[in-house]
Amino acid sequence: MIDLTTLGAILLMALVTYLTRIGGYFFLRNRSLSPRTSAMMEAAPGCVLISVIAPYFVAKNPADLLALALTLAAATRFSLLPTVIIGVVSAALLRHFMG
Amino acid sequence: MMNTVQAAAAEQVLPIRPRSEFWRGALDGMPVLLGVVPFALVLGTQAAHKGLSALEVPLMTGLNFAGGSEFAAIALWTSPPHILLIAAITFLVNSRHLLMGAALAPFLQHLPRRKVFAALFLMCDESWALAFADAKRRARQGVRTPFSLPYYLGISSGLYLAWICFTTMGAMLGPVLGNVESYGFHMAFPAVFLVLMRGMWQGMCAALPWLMSLIAAATTYVLLPGAWYVPAGTLAGLTTAYFMAGKK
Repeated sequence: MIDLTTLGAILLMALVTYLTRIGGYFFLRNRSLSPRTSAMMEAAPGCVLISVIAPYFVAKNPADLLALALTLAAATRFSLLPTVIIGVVSAALLRHFMG
Repeated sequence: MMNTVQAAAAEQVLPIRPRSEFWRGALDGMPVLLGVVPFALVLGTQAAHKGLSALEVPLMTGLNFAGGSEFAAIALWTSPPHILLIAAITFLVNSRHLLMGAALAPFLQHLPRRKVFAALFLMCDESWALAFADAKRRARQGVRTPFSLPYYLGISSGLYLAWICFTTMGAMLGPVLGNVESYGFHMAFPAVFLVLMRGMWQGMCAALPWLMSLIAAATTYVLLPGAWYVPAGTLAGLTTAYFMAGKK
């Protein structure tokens, strides 16, 4: 039920995350960060997330690109669940009808 | 702001007033907790599709307890996983905790270190934001130790339990849904990520690094095999943020 490599990945993730949680309290509390460092830290999560999904933006299948556009539009106005449903259903339908 | 109003409203409506600070936190955290449930279910389902078992999922979500990094890790998950890539991505997604912890530090000075280290394990965006706002409010009211540890624990322990329970539930539902969902299921990842990013949205200008990340990552993805597009895209975005901050 628990794979060793998976366990290793999970433990390392947990360690890294815990270090980010205590690191600010421990190392940065009496220090002021440069505006550049804080700007980078503020931008970082969004940069990683958009990079991870970048392949969807250059999909070869026009149906997938259209579904992504619909998902993007949905994400600007709806909460998580409707957005996921719109994304998944539109991708399934568009693939079915556009091939 | 909203939480003062909500807490005040709750106190008027409920016949039993939340006596302890812990329950005040648990009550304030409730709306956030409800919002977290769908994310947890989707994450568990996605993790199951990548081959993680219903034991491995709570292990990850219980030890790591940082949703953004878990979605990123699962999106990049291969069998076997690239451990170093996943650790690096985890660090980048969670590096904001460093700023959050630093901002909270002045409020934690009255607490013994071992309590702080245990409490920080549960620090996430939501519990931090609520407890930090609460501490600042109480400081304005002249409370001498404005940060309320039980209030913070009330928020975060509820979120922690919900996160583990509902990701596990998602992991158990995932294989059941396996045959029903046909092709469109891959679109769940961009859907989740785009909703997460909308939550971080701070205007067009602040989103410029994201655009550079997208361009660089997409280009790298087309040109190079493997998962290099993630570090390449991230680096492009961080470089943009670095130079934009220098201009001000």
